[in-house]
Amino acid sequence: MINLDAYAYSNALKIVHPAEKLSFAMITLVVCLASPTVITPLIVLALMAGGIIIKAGIPGRFFVKLMLVPLTFLLVSVLTIAFSISPSPAGFWLAHNVGGLTLGIRFPDLITAVHIFIKSLGAVSCLYFLALTTPITEIITVLGKMRVPVIITELMVLIYRFIFVFMEIATTIRRAQSSRLGYISKKSSFRSLSWLFSALFGKVFLKSNELFDTMTSRCYTGEIKVLAKKYPVSLKNYLVLTMLEIPLVLLNLLGR
Amino acid sequence: MSEVILEAVDIEFSYPDGTNALRRVNLQVKKGEKLAILGSNGAGKSTLFLHFNGIYRPNSGSIKYRGQDVSYDKKALIELRKKVGIVFQDPDSQLFSASVWQDISFGPLNLELAEEVVMDRVQQAMLDTETTDLKDKPTHLLSYGQKKRVSIAGVLAMEPEVIIFDEPTAWLDPRHAREFMELLEKLSQKGKTIIISTHDVDLAYVWSDRIAVMHSGEIIANGEPGEVFLQPELIKRADLVLPWLLEMHGVLVQKGWLSPAIPLPKTREDLFSSIAARSERKLSAL
Repeated sequence: MINLDAYAYSNALKIVHPAEKLSFAMITLVVCLASPTVITPLIVLALMAGGIIIKAGIPGRFFVKLMLVPLTFLLVSVLTIAFSISPSPAGFWLAHNVGGLTLGIRFPDLITAVHIFIKSLGAVSCLYFLALTTPITEIITVLGKMRVPVIITELMVLIYRFIFVFMEIATTIRRAQSSRLGYISKKSSFRSLSWLFSALFGKVFLKSNELFDTMTSRCYTGEIKVLAKKYPVSLKNYLVLTMLEIPLVLLNLLGR
Repeated sequence: MSEVILEAVDIEFSYPDGTNALRRVNLQVKKGEKLAILGSNGAGKSTLFLHFNGIYRPNSGSIKYRGQDVSYDKKALIELRKKVGIVFQDPDSQLFSASVWQDISFGPLNLELAEEVVMDRVQQAMLDTETTDLKDKPTHLLSYGQKKRVSIAGVLAMEPEVIIFDEPTAWLDPRHAREFMELLEKLSQKGKTIIISTHDVDLAYVWSDRIAVMHSGEIIANGEPGEVFLQPELIKRADLVLPWLLEMHGVLVQKGWLSPAIPLPKTREDLFSSIAARSERKLSAL
């Protein structure tokens, strides 16, 4: 996760306007999810892989590793869709009889499962494209411009920042515990972990108080105002975006 | 130089848990001066600083800015915080945004300046603190020293008249500490009033125009560095030590190597040049 975040700041597409990357990822995501066939999701997957590896310069191995992350989760959910149990053996494509119950796969279910599987992978690749090429801070700025309520964007700013602060504190506490053999047995591990959580909880309160003071001292009066970074708006990128999406949409319509 | 810009008058303050953090604190800060507040941990330095910024309100006594009592209404507080900036000790509690650029722009934007002005100020602050290269980096990928410099830039961009640094050199390595002192010198030359808190007596002695010593919520000494450190019982009471320059000077005077008439050394060069070579011949033989 840390690497993923670090790439967002160092990839070759970091100079591209975040709104362009956000619309590319989101429109493609919708097109991918709306697709009645598996062809569009496969094209989307290829498109995003190309964007991530070739355009953004992220190592291919890292991208493959990232794609493997949701795979287990996806396989489990897809298998439950593919398999069914029924008292009658009718309509099964592959079946096994266990004590009067039929356990097996119905063909339409299998098709649905494969569809969902490929669609999900395509959709995940869209989100990875966004996550790998665009820093969260820039996404938040775009969301703010899209009139997403301030309370949400401000919370996002603070949560994102403090994920890292608290992760550092947690790592330090854990290291200090390990160096005193806090994780030597199962029992001590549970105890140390509970202490880590309560210590962290205390720190969260302390830090939030400190943060409020430091922000107040910089004239904070209830609204977090920051300067957005300027990016060049590229008409070409929007054209490319349109040229890519139109065939995909057409493909979706033809597949109906 | 002698105009008082910021003043604490008879400040008393206790925390809700009953800790008596400040006891009848009186302190005058003069425009353009370099003031060091010395004291051990828990002496009340940070609590006093938060009063100078209107974050804490004294139980009794008052804070004056340019001779005016600070009234704690919203407008007056903003005015005070505009003029008096604090760089806190832990940059991780000060940087609220993951974007260096956004964090630095936060303060000046709160002053309701035009966007172009803010942009100029952010750029100038980044130049002054040498953080321009960090503009596109997220704060969580910065080193401690870099975070510190970004948090300083965030305060400089507000262009306050008085800048307070809470334990600025704690946890900085010697190189970064030296660079920080150079930055302070630059700010001082621009006419800023600078207050730092520290327990580094060597730094306080060499850098400051004036030293205030705090001990368990009280200011127990206040004067020129030379004067303050000539009171050994006071230094001991405040759990501090003598700066090495003065200690060395004292020993050399005591053992007859230096005449007592020689003024106190302000820098290491002062001290070294006052020590005469035993004889020219012996020196060249070395």
